[in-house]
Amino acid sequence: MSTEISAPAAAAHASAHKLFSLRRTWAIASNTFRDLVRQKVFYFMLVFALILIGVSLTLASISFQGQLQTVMDVCLGAMSVFTMLLAVLATAMLLPKDMEDRTLYTILAKPVSRFEYLVGKLAGVTMILLVATLLMTAAFLVVLHFWQGREIENLQITEPAERAAATIKLIKSGTFTPTLFGGIGVIFLRSVVCAALTLMLSCFATSWLFTVIVSLMVILAGHLVPIARSVWQGPVGAAEAPFHIAILLRLITVFVPDMQLFNVVDDIAVGMTIEADVFLRIAGLGAGYVLVYLFVGWLFFAWREL
Amino acid sequence: MIGTGVSAEVLKRMDAPAITIENLTKEFTNPSIFSRGKITAVDGLSLTVEAGHVYGLLGPNGSGKSTTMKIVLGLVVPTSGRTCIFGRDSRDVESREAVGFLPENPYFYKFLTGAETLDFYGKLCGLGGKMLRDRSRELLALVGLESAADRRVGGYSKGMLQRIGLAQALVQDPRLLVLDEPTAGVDPAGSHEIRDLILRLKQRGITVLLCSHLLSQVQEICDRIGIMNHGKLVREGPLDDLISIENQTELTLENVSPALLAELRERAEAGGARVLGAHKPQQNLERYFLDVTAEKK
Amino acid sequence: MRGRILGILVLLAWGIAKFSFEARLEQRMENTRLGGFKPTASLRQQAGQAGFIAALGGLRSAVADLLWIRAYTAWRDVQYGRMKLLFDTCTAMQPRRVLFWDISAWHMAWNGAAYVQNHEPDPVVRKAEMRKFFMAGKDFLQRGIESNPDSWELYERLGALYKDKLKDFENASKAYDEASKRPGHLKYTRRFAAYYLAEVPGREREAYERLMALFNESEHEWLLTLFRHIQNLEAKLDIPDAQRIWHTVVKLAETPGKEGSAYAGLTDLIKTGSREPAVIDAARAYEQKMDIPAERRVKLPVQDKRPSD
Repeated sequence: MSTEISAPAAAAHASAHKLFSLRRTWAIASNTFRDLVRQKVFYFMLVFALILIGVSLTLASISFQGQLQTVMDVCLGAMSVFTMLLAVLATAMLLPKDMEDRTLYTILAKPVSRFEYLVGKLAGVTMILLVATLLMTAAFLVVLHFWQGREIENLQITEPAERAAATIKLIKSGTFTPTLFGGIGVIFLRSVVCAALTLMLSCFATSWLFTVIVSLMVILAGHLVPIARSVWQGPVGAAEAPFHIAILLRLITVFVPDMQLFNVVDDIAVGMTIEADVFLRIAGLGAGYVLVYLFVGWLFFAWREL
Repeated sequence: MIGTGVSAEVLKRMDAPAITIENLTKEFTNPSIFSRGKITAVDGLSLTVEAGHVYGLLGPNGSGKSTTMKIVLGLVVPTSGRTCIFGRDSRDVESREAVGFLPENPYFYKFLTGAETLDFYGKLCGLGGKMLRDRSRELLALVGLESAADRRVGGYSKGMLQRIGLAQALVQDPRLLVLDEPTAGVDPAGSHEIRDLILRLKQRGITVLLCSHLLSQVQEICDRIGIMNHGKLVREGPLDDLISIENQTELTLENVSPALLAELRERAEAGGARVLGAHKPQQNLERYFLDVTAEKK
Repeated sequence: MRGRILGILVLLAWGIAKFSFEARLEQRMENTRLGGFKPTASLRQQAGQAGFIAALGGLRSAVADLLWIRAYTAWRDVQYGRMKLLFDTCTAMQPRRVLFWDISAWHMAWNGAAYVQNHEPDPVVRKAEMRKFFMAGKDFLQRGIESNPDSWELYERLGALYKDKLKDFENASKAYDEASKRPGHLKYTRRFAAYYLAEVPGREREAYERLMALFNESEHEWLLTLFRHIQNLEAKLDIPDAQRIWHTVVKLAETPGKEGSAYAGLTDLIKTGSREPAVIDAARAYEQKMDIPAERRVKLPVQDKRPSD
């Protein structure tokens, strides 16, 4: 070891402590991103998704009619499911790992607030989800472009001219649309909501397995919220449901996010258009969920014994 | 100090003790589902660590030392009582600007190199750019990890982890250093160097709170100690005062003849003293080990 | 504990606040045709547990596509009952996919009925079973139209079903009419609406007016079938000679630059039974003018040939 210690690092503490520092948060976020990129779960998820995108080509070739549609359905479905799974699995491990390894102590012993720590972790996961979504989107667009060309060739051979021309025009105008990209944006947003939910749960859970299971259950239950809401709101349903079921359904509609609202891929895949105001509302709702889950996660974490 | 442009609040903090613990109590809920009730980890603890001192916090396993340290660092919320760092409540994030912490058996992100680890912790302390790079280089040299700076921490030995842990604790040049078993797993040479480093830091006015089971080391470097048992502070004070045997005096002589030794015995007994023993003093095993291994190099 | 209690309270407050927003957004998406799918108990039975869960999780369309492939396997194995079940599931999972409704109806009303026609020996049973398949096809189309009211294809298929299978020309005409009002429709739907209206007793005049509107719209509408239907109606309704279409076509033949279009109309008139001398003369004059070889000239039946032919 060197025997000399230099003069104190000047100006390190010259500026007042900020309640929320982007630099500290970014340090945690970029570190989290690097950590996740190195983990096998990321590569497995990505490889599976890319394989499925490739498999869509096989499925399309054995499907009679509407092959382009099959490609879109399978690819968008794969992206939807894998980003959600990646969000849950990648996020569930973050806090338990840091606590088990005690790196959490060394981080929080620095002038880093628990809120900055959580924001940094979520930002890191968001970055990995963005990268995964972009990679899957690139593969999807390549496959889609290829199959669109094949479909057009097929139509020119098999269909009468007028019908073929009309269908080709529909295909060309209806494949690479702003709505498709908006839909991919919603897939990404949904995955961030799932990540925020998982982070919130991991702030009070004691094991990552518990976090994963509960997160997936909540996400699944989220797809049934429209049914629960209709039972609550409908006069007939409310009257027919037993009391304890009615209470359960009310709790579901209040505490569980309505994941069906983010589930627009199935309709975009058949060429429906998302109007701008609907997209903005979905984006606003998603942002609201992320902020609330982050805040509640902080509340759970702030008083947690480490 | 009139005219320095420094606020009274800041001046007050500059004069404040490094650590103030007032009636600290911490109770944990019993995790067993078969028995209710609480476990009292810390029970009415009060102590003060003055700035610039090296304070040893000792105690058997489960005595509450680690819990006390975590509360001082703001990692755990006390049940009652208060802890302050340089006059600022420990629960304020800002209080940790002045603190460096080395936990027991430190573990860092495996995928980062030694240099990247220091960069990461430096950024958490608000450092950046060239200042941080220079500081990282300096600290790596200080802890003897220059050659391993670009190696992943996942490949570090226990001793190397301890050193990088010390380096990250020092990255923002803290006024208070909290060290939990800083020499655990480190070889005697490294342990000696860490001890010397602590003494040098003390000379610079840095306060050190040290937890260690290596009592010989504590004895060498601490000014004051506090001994905890079952959550309470059972002894506290300057080290020399606590461990000195009041009614005994040690006299070490060189080249004394047997005749002179016998005369001294007679004189002592004639004066009412009791000679308890006469034997050759032993040198410190650590010193002996270092001398031997240094020669072989 | 304090943090957990506060957290739950915040979640409760958020839940109450977002409830009405989510309900309104769901309604908004319903109104814009998004989110028309609703998970139901019957879908759970049809798709099975795994399929139901996959449907909820964002794989609805993909699962529907897989089941669609299975339906084709069933078709290959001539299992029309199983096909119907799979078609029901596919359409329930992805009600916005027009192709599912269209092809399901086609398989039921055309292929299924044809299978029964070719394999059922008992004429009474054959007729009843065929009718069941026709109605199954019609049901698919009507349900498809409920989920996709802007789909001209489904209306078109419904029109074809009414006409070909149920021999209900009035409803066939209505269906083609609806198809012609939907975006993206092909032009023939307007013609077909009028053609089949002409087959409805008492609606001939209305059909004639619609066909004449098409005739007068543009020469691009001057097709053989149009001319046949108009001429039939002219005879049926006893339209005065001066108002008959052959006059318009002959007059067009005298318009410079329009001789070619007129010749096509003249030949169609002849092919559909017109023997007006002026029509034949105008056609022959054009053929001579353009030096059209004899084998490509419009042919008259032997009994109608004139010495100059």
